[in-house]
Amino acid sequence: MINFNNVTKVYGKDSIALDHVDLAINPGEFVFLVGASGSGKSTMVRLILKELEPSAGSITVNGVRLSSIPHRSVPRHRRAIGCVFQDFKLLPNKTAAENVAYAMEVTGQKRRAIRVKVPQILDLVGLGEQAEKYPDQLSGGEQQRVSIARAFVGQPPILIADEPTGNLDPDTSVGIMQLLHRINRIGTTVLVATHDKEMVDVMRKRVVALKGGRVVRDMVRGGYANEV
Amino acid sequence: MRFNLGFFLREAAKNMRLNALMSVTAVTTTAVCVLVLGVGLLVSAHVEGILRGVGKDVAITAFFPEDAPGAEIDAARRQVEGYPEVQEVVFVSEGEALNRVKDMLSEQPEVMEGLDPGIMQASMEIRLADPGTSDAVAERLRAEGFSDENLNYPQQTISQLNQVTGYVIWALRAATVLFLVASVLLISNAIRISIFARRKEIEVMKLVGASDGFVRTPFVLEGLAQGLLGATIAALVVVWGNAMFVEWAGNALPFVPVSSSAVNTLLVLIVLIAVGVLIGIIGSFLSVRRFLRV
Ligand SMILES: Nc1ncnc2c1ncn2[C@@H]1O[C@H](COP(=O)(O)OP(=O)(O)OP(=O)(O)O)[C@@H](O)[C@H]1O
Ligand SMILES: [Mg+2]
Repeated sequence: MINFNNVTKVYGKDSIALDHVDLAINPGEFVFLVGASGSGKSTMVRLILKELEPSAGSITVNGVRLSSIPHRSVPRHRRAIGCVFQDFKLLPNKTAAENVAYAMEVTGQKRRAIRVKVPQILDLVGLGEQAEKYPDQLSGGEQQRVSIARAFVGQPPILIADEPTGNLDPDTSVGIMQLLHRINRIGTTVLVATHDKEMVDVMRKRVVALKGGRVVRDMVRGGYANEV
Repeated sequence: MRFNLGFFLREAAKNMRLNALMSVTAVTTTAVCVLVLGVGLLVSAHVEGILRGVGKDVAITAFFPEDAPGAEIDAARRQVEGYPEVQEVVFVSEGEALNRVKDMLSEQPEVMEGLDPGIMQASMEIRLADPGTSDAVAERLRAEGFSDENLNYPQQTISQLNQVTGYVIWALRAATVLFLVASVLLISNAIRISIFARRKEIEVMKLVGASDGFVRTPFVLEGLAQGLLGATIAALVVVWGNAMFVEWAGNALPFVPVSSSAVNTLLVLIVLIAVGVLIGIIGSFLSVRRFLRV
């Protein structure tokens, strides 16, 4: 589903974020991407979204080489990927509900469908009461959950979450992880970049560890730390 | 994908409300530029109108010999009317010439008493489409047999006036074009600043899968609305100001041929509003484009 073939990403002249990364994620898999701050997790996410181009190597998503996608077809590529951004990336002039609705509007869905779906999704992430608030009226964790709701409201085949529980209390974190697990069970490929050791250890999913831009570990049922 | 006009209009309206200050700036800039442009258009239209009015008054007068038979006069008239340079030929008979003199001297009617109409000469007043052709027409009339003393035309005046008219009109046109260029730059700059402030939003829209067109449309509608509003205000002020000026000039400057017909009001309205709207659309289109490369 997602393939990195010998991918290197250098920012500017000499800031190496990814160093010859090879990774294959199969359809329907649930993968944790772990590693210290600055190890290159977000860079991988941005490459998958074609927000950035790799300096070397190639990436394929759903069998399509990203470098072969013309500018005008990039939106279609991105609509197949729901993404929870590390910095949320909510639109400041839209309420929580409008932010979630926007992801459906870009795909040209009917207003009626949007009006039904958005409240359901917001309820699911526990934000039913905050639907009409603007991002600057929401706490960090609440904004994060709006971002999560927006990412999977369109039921994309791929869901990427960059640090989805970073601002959440333990109870809410467990709720979000259960949600991601359920989304994965209905067939969605899920990639979660995280520092959340507890979560990774509890869920026992495939773990890919990055260190200094290199894949240093890839375990089918791994934990966060370097154990067996 | 469906073109969701309702959604785009709501987005544009909301953005304008939220960025009210930027919108006001863009509308004001457009209004000021279109106003200056409109005043430029008016000034050139009136100057052209006045110059043409003055030029029109300059005509060649050809006097017929006292003994010329009516048939010969008619033939000469028809001949001259056929010249391509000639716009209009007005025949002034001896009687009419006398009446004119009487009108001029109406204060002292005793001067005219017992005057014989025979002392007046019949003539034709030849108006030219272009005053610059007076030499050529006079030459033809000489060939027709009119002697120099029977031809009356202010040749020097005409060619000088003609030259000045040309310079003034070209200077005014150049100034109008400069205004137009300055307006385009100022208005699109105002739009660019307002869009620059929202480049992060554009980036986010693109990252969640919006196409270029989807992101751009509300911005373009916003530019259109701002251009339309600013230009309409300015155009109405221009047209109103023109009406006031024509009325004032009619009273205060009776000898200057300022005429309301020199300005096609409807055309000015349409041109000014179209300029504002086009700059609004093109300016926002180009400004957004720079941030769509995400
Ligand atoms: N725009 C940029 N320009 C230059 N260097 C960058 C840029 N973005 C990231 N980097 C560098 O690339 C490396 C990887 O960054 P990345 O954001 O992928 O890390 P991360 O694993 O997501 O970290 P974190 O867990 O803190 O989010 C870091 O050393 C960072 O300094
Ligand atoms: Mg990161």
